[in-house]
Amino acid sequence: MIEMTRRRIDVDAVLDSVRRDEAGAVVLFLGTVRADADVAALDYEVYVPMAKKVLADLAERAKAKFGVLDLSIAHRIGRVPVGGDSVAVACAAAHRREAFEACAWVMDEVKRIVPIWKSVPPRRVRRSR
Amino acid sequence: MRLRVMLFATYREIADAKELAWTAEPGTTLGQFLDAFLAAHPRLAPHRGSMLVAVNLAVADPTAVLHEGDEVALLPPVSGGCP
Repeated sequence: MIEMTRRRIDVDAVLDSVRRDEAGAVVLFLGTVRADADVAALDYEVYVPMAKKVLADLAERAKAKFGVLDLSIAHRIGRVPVGGDSVAVACAAAHRREAFEACAWVMDEVKRIVPIWKSVPPRRVRRSR
Repeated sequence: MRLRVMLFATYREIADAKELAWTAEPGTTLGQFLDAFLAAHPRLAPHRGSMLVAVNLAVADPTAVLHEGDEVALLPPVSGGCP
């Protein structure tokens, strides 16, 4: 399952999309927005049609490269507040090693080649009454 | 021939547009298109070295020949996922 969404990522749905009886391991990675200095949220701009294509290709390459059973990726579009999930990668495999390795590899590739750009939105200045 | 030029992130801000129409001669290559487009948008020219360019959703080579209706996307260095 490949998903780009403006709404909160449905983590259970991402997990359920990879579960299968042959799997001895299911790994879930969540990338979340960290409360760095002056960061209340992050904005994600996405070239959606190309991002979907590249993510789908990534999932297939991960399956071939690590021999995992299935892999799903969901990424947010738009504004994500601190603590919010910006990306989810779930992977099912016969054994944990390849599940962990596939998730790590996919995340590195997401940051390297998927047409997504994040920026810090200007903080709203509260006017004193 | 008519092309759709898509701009994202910093390039969108510089050009003040996320999509622009462009006309080029049949047989124009991606490299030739970039020469002309960046001449028309000089503030984007300094970014050419780090610019990734996709044609119809796939990263393309400057020698690629463009065709009527192609979608050319100028992509800044990407930064998806989480910090």
